[in-house]
Amino acid sequence: MPITTRRRLLVGSAAALAMPAFARAQSEAKPRITAISQWSAGSDGAAISALGKLFEERGGVWQHNPVPGFTTEMMNKLRAQIMAGDPPAISQLKGPEIAAWSKIAPTVDISPWVKTAGFADRVPAELAKSCQPGGHWIALPLQVYRINTLFMSTKGMQRAGVTKAPTSWAEFNDTAEKMKAAGMIPLANGGIRYDDGMKFEIALAGISPEVYRRAIMQLDTDALKGKEVLAAFEQLRKFANVMNPNIAAQPWAVNLPAFVKGDMGMVLMGGWAQGNLFKAGATLADFSSGPAPQESGPPCFDLNADCFIFWKPKGADLEAGQKLFAETVMQPSTQEMYSKITGSIPARTDVNLAAEGFTDGQRNSAQNLRDAIAKDRVVLSLGHNMAQPNGMTAAMIDVLTEYVHNSAIPAVEGQKRLVAAVAGAQ
Amino acid sequence: MRTGLTPLAAKQDEGREQGVWRRRFGSILTELAIWLPLSIAAGHVVLFTAWTTWVSFTASSLMPDYTWVGLRNYWAVTRTANFQIACVNLLIFGFGFVLLTMALGLLLAILLDQRVRGENVLRTIFLYPLAVSFVVTGTVWSWLLNPGLGLQRVVQNLGWQDFRFDWLVQSDKAIYTLIFAGVWQGAGFAMALFLAGLRSVDADLVKAAQIDGAGPWRTYRRVLLPTIWPIFITVFVILLRSAITSFDLVRALTGGGPGISTMLPTLVVYDFMFQRSELGRGSAAAVLMLLSLVVVMAPYGLYVRWQRQRQARA
Amino acid sequence: MKWTRVIVYAALIILALLFLVPLGVVVVNSLRSSREIAATSLIGWPSHLIFTNYGQAWNRFCMAEHCWGIEPYMLNSLTLAIPATIISTLLGALAGYSISLWRFRGDQFVFGLVTLGIFLPEQMKLIPWVVVLRDLSLMNTIAGLILIHTVQGMSFTTLFCRNYYVGIPQDLLKAARIDGAGFFRIFWRIILPLSPPILIVTVIFQFTGIWNEFLYGVTFTSGGQQPVTAALIALSAAITSEPMYGEQSAAVLIAALPTLLVYLFGGRYFLRGLTAGAVK
Repeated sequence: MPITTRRRLLVGSAAALAMPAFARAQSEAKPRITAISQWSAGSDGAAISALGKLFEERGGVWQHNPVPGFTTEMMNKLRAQIMAGDPPAISQLKGPEIAAWSKIAPTVDISPWVKTAGFADRVPAELAKSCQPGGHWIALPLQVYRINTLFMSTKGMQRAGVTKAPTSWAEFNDTAEKMKAAGMIPLANGGIRYDDGMKFEIALAGISPEVYRRAIMQLDTDALKGKEVLAAFEQLRKFANVMNPNIAAQPWAVNLPAFVKGDMGMVLMGGWAQGNLFKAGATLADFSSGPAPQESGPPCFDLNADCFIFWKPKGADLEAGQKLFAETVMQPSTQEMYSKITGSIPARTDVNLAAEGFTDGQRNSAQNLRDAIAKDRVVLSLGHNMAQPNGMTAAMIDVLTEYVHNSAIPAVEGQKRLVAAVAGAQ
Repeated sequence: MRTGLTPLAAKQDEGREQGVWRRRFGSILTELAIWLPLSIAAGHVVLFTAWTTWVSFTASSLMPDYTWVGLRNYWAVTRTANFQIACVNLLIFGFGFVLLTMALGLLLAILLDQRVRGENVLRTIFLYPLAVSFVVTGTVWSWLLNPGLGLQRVVQNLGWQDFRFDWLVQSDKAIYTLIFAGVWQGAGFAMALFLAGLRSVDADLVKAAQIDGAGPWRTYRRVLLPTIWPIFITVFVILLRSAITSFDLVRALTGGGPGISTMLPTLVVYDFMFQRSELGRGSAAAVLMLLSLVVVMAPYGLYVRWQRQRQARA
Repeated sequence: MKWTRVIVYAALIILALLFLVPLGVVVVNSLRSSREIAATSLIGWPSHLIFTNYGQAWNRFCMAEHCWGIEPYMLNSLTLAIPATIISTLLGALAGYSISLWRFRGDQFVFGLVTLGIFLPEQMKLIPWVVVLRDLSLMNTIAGLILIHTVQGMSFTTLFCRNYYVGIPQDLLKAARIDGAGFFRIFWRIILPLSPPILIVTVIFQFTGIWNEFLYGVTFTSGGQQPVTAALIALSAAITSEPMYGEQSAAVLIAALPTLLVYLFGGRYFLRGLTAGAVK
């Protein structure tokens, strides 16, 4: 065969082979994703930007709109977009709000992608349930925080003569007394509402995760009126007596320099506090962290998680973008990267945290999660809108924050108001 | 005589000489220029209020949902501690803010009216808070009034160990800190209006009083202040409006805290509508807020009408 | 009589210092490093002066992926505030003129309705505006925000202008009409030349209000189109996780500069405008 003809044949067959790919590329638009979240700054902002870069490396177009402010502003923006008929492809949402919001706009059933990735069995059951309000997956968890974490200041412990972290509320109160005697503020807290709600849930979960589940997550009136809840209120009052009296409406992070210096002793906060501490200039030697006191049994895991919900998109490029995003998020390497930046633990329980970049606190937290799942001691956070929809949460936190800041309210009265608030918000 | 026709009739007479079309076009344009902006402005007020009122009677939660539920939202809202505290706070804050701002504004105006040197500089110093957004005002004052950061710490560091100024962290006194910050921001505005009024009083009146032997304070009390009485009303209305719609200031200064002790109606509306995703209840709170406004404004409206009738009779 | 002068000056100086304290705190904080502020206290003298906060705030601080600082947001705010102020002031003058001088049937009623608008809380109007902007396809545009601020601004501007124009004698108009002037000519030739005092008051008021507005700015725009108030709020939210007080103070000062300048230069006319009878 003449050379030209053979060359022509080669070129022709190459073209024929390339054709399907070319045709495929034409029909599949470049994956694009529009996202709304509240993460405009700090480690959250850095993490979501890193996720965006990862998305673009894999061939997608990343269009993220961080809404300045907090969750309410973000939900405001989301509501406005939905009402305008133009929801983003994905948006940050969590807990029962996923179920509530899924009723007002169409979502995408991503169960096939979840199945392919084998993701469903690797996340905590409660979390998985919150992402499947209609029986199929419409959201994906990004990261998990343990709320009931106790941070101790190294210098503070030395100053008060405390050698180990308390493991029961009685020990905690003793430690607080010692710290107070040493002229320190025992408990560093913030003045924003959810902080007060968080203290209560840590107290109650530490007393009994089963009662927590019945009272807070299922709103069982008998549990709400029971003695464990009363004991939690009493412990909450003890917290209030050893907190920073001058915090006003400042965020808790203003206490950090004092905490590192040893003028404040303990912090009861979610795992993200680790990131705050590093940002404030602390090193691993300045603090220790572990589970908050647990009255009986192994430590429970009070869970807070961030998820992204998938809204039905208009356009093949957004559909492709959602698929790419889902696949990216479910990968262990992505979860690892995200948690390294924010100080959380991955939603996937099978990620190995032995790698560099994780702290012992995170490893301990992840192990805690695995154990708690095995022993069914995972509860959902009240203060961070995981246990109840926003309306119920807000009504309950009204009572809790008023109780904390008004020492004239006795524990019995606080409990009564909580029961009334729950009834009124239903 | 229908006043609407008079200008038109006059125009038509002269328009006959200038051509029918030009005249017609001119009058259509006039009607458009009068009615288009006004109907949009008035319309948006009426429609938005009507829509909010309608939603307050529905089962709206995350989104508007037009299922009628009667007064259920109103009962639910008035029973929450949030709203009850907010109403009381509005009274305290409203009166305190308006009265103190007017008092300080009047004082500043009288002081500046004394032909002092550097009046321009002083006036700018008192006016600049108006240029600053409420968020910034609230944030800075939250630092200054914080016992551990601001005034209390500074005075204690200067030696007075027993000095206390921790209203910001006390549930029953925090509302007064809002008044502080609000007065700081609004006094300049009141001062500007009072000063303008004082300066525009007829000089002869003042001279007459001085000839009669009145000292400066009596001149003020007997002559100048009564003459600028209408300004008091204007300042009152605008300050009241500021107090009622106050939102950013409270959010930045106290966040509604400590606890829920400094909640105000606008925060309750925002809380219900957007934080709790309960549009129906939020709208009910908003309607209640507007109703309370009617209660306050009705006397003013009657006063204005009485004044106009008195002028018509004079 | 001298001692009364002393008291007057003393009172004024003390009050002036009190008024300046908040500004002073912000200025001082903008010259301290955030680490130092976080480690010592929000109120205090700088251990050493830092000028980097301004540069950081202007074009380096990051909002998620975008490290533009507040510069682009300042431009957005200008693009929003200037047209909205001008249009709402002109429309207010027109409306005030029609209501108080030209007169028509039902003018007082319409005036009452329009003025009532200043009392409506903006939270309540948020969702209706979403619906309106959606139907006009103006969501996520600066034009949509300009529309909102113009329509809402008319409530204030009409109030101010109308109260001012009632002071203009009707005879002036009658004479003009006899001479053959129509609606627009009277407005152009007679009313507007008499208006500068009140127009300045209105412009100052509107510009400040629109510049400092936050809720609508965040809800009706996205990403890079947001006004500067959104960037300030982002900084405040960032503070909860890492100390950025120095940058926040610098950003606040930069963002407040336009309105401060407006009051600085317009302050004189502000008073003159009020003297000329804005208050009735």
